[in-house]
Amino acid sequence: MLSGSDTVYVLRYFDLIGRAEGCRLLLTAANASWTEEHPEWPAEKANQPFERLPVLVERSNGDEWILCESLTIERYLARVFGFMPTDLKQAALQEQMVDQQADLVPAFMAQLIATDDMKSKQFDEFNTLFDRMVKEHGRILSRNSSKQHLFGDQLSYADISLYAFYKVYIVYLKIYQSDIDEIVKPKLTPEIINLILSIEKEPLLAPHLSKCDSMAAVLSSKAF
Amino acid sequence: MAASKNPQYTLRYFDRIGVAEGSKLLLSVANVEWAEEHPEWPLEKPNQPFGRMPVLIEKHANDKDFVICESGNIERYLARAYGFIPSDIRQAALQEQLRDQASDMFAAFISQLVAKSEEDRRENFAKFDGLLDKLVEVQTKQINANGNIGYMFGDRLSYADIVTYAFYKIIVVGMVKRQANIVNIVKPKLTPQLIKLIATVEANPLLASYMARGDSLAAIVTKPTPARL
Repeated sequence: MLSGSDTVYVLRYFDLIGRAEGCRLLLTAANASWTEEHPEWPAEKANQPFERLPVLVERSNGDEWILCESLTIERYLARVFGFMPTDLKQAALQEQMVDQQADLVPAFMAQLIATDDMKSKQFDEFNTLFDRMVKEHGRILSRNSSKQHLFGDQLSYADISLYAFYKVYIVYLKIYQSDIDEIVKPKLTPEIINLILSIEKEPLLAPHLSKCDSMAAVLSSKAF
Repeated sequence: MAASKNPQYTLRYFDRIGVAEGSKLLLSVANVEWAEEHPEWPLEKPNQPFGRMPVLIEKHANDKDFVICESGNIERYLARAYGFIPSDIRQAALQEQLRDQASDMFAAFISQLVAKSEEDRRENFAKFDGLLDKLVEVQTKQINANGNIGYMFGDRLSYADIVTYAFYKIIVVGMVKRQANIVNIVKPKLTPQLIKLIATVEANPLLASYMARGDSLAAIVTKPTPARL
């Protein structure tokens, strides 16, 4: 671990799963001293380095260091706390998967806000991209001997990011589109469901996930 | 006879100045052997790892190819492999942050470009405009903190300089055919510090052969704006 035991973190975000769940899970898995702040918005917008959230504040030895951009924060925490491989190629494979997942966000938004004439086309694009993402998760998993992890046999950044990804599309985004979980759940293979549930059971994640609804109940309620 | 360099790279992308620009610049400054491929599109879509480009193929003489995709990921991999991202984790994160911020601005640019209704276009343009102002502010602040010497960090070209340059080039040079007025929107906002950084990047000897292609961003941003009569 590369951070001192007297280092404390503050994660500033909205009181939502949103784009911060990966950060929360990494701070939890790291057993870091951390708290969350929910700045009043938009009142506090101008006080953020880039007028956006999340923001990570790292305080140690009386110093304060600030970082923004959700994926930069994730990669930073993953490196500091040893969840990112030190081998550049192995790290690139994990970061690639995370960036591919992030590509889904604009596609989701496009189909959400599309006018009637574009709705069908935008939905098809989102659907195709999501299918491709599930296939990619399956491909990575098939190449790993452990089926409880994407890479190696210990919790990694990729595992944490995958869990947060499915949580966003099955739980969080329902506030924007109530049927998104029914669109996404049938796409999940038994292997991916098994992986999600294995990650959920990781002891390192318990301090955070014990406060959240389990995905297990949601995933087992598939109507067949 | 010089031995050919190992590894060799192929970068697959469209024949345009787009999100692969940072990767092309990094391959150039890394001083490796590299070539571009412009696969027929969308014919070659299914043959790419994620149905998208850019794709980077690293070929080794005695090993199998290493293939990665996602523009930011390719950039970070090359930048780390060839010493343009610091090994200090915090310093690396500060550089990556600048890229993600520039990328946010670019996403906002695209939103206003593709907006269908006049109302959406105006709203999205306002968001892009505001974000661009904020980006220029944080970039200029960092350049000043480093003594305004033409580099974001330290005293030599780094990842942060390259990606800052790249995103302005994508918008001002790459996108001008799709939005002719973009130069007149972006150029007045560029601070002298940013113009100096852009010129410094382009003048780097490591980029001499890449810049021989033309498409100078520095030429556009340092050209005096004609006085209005």
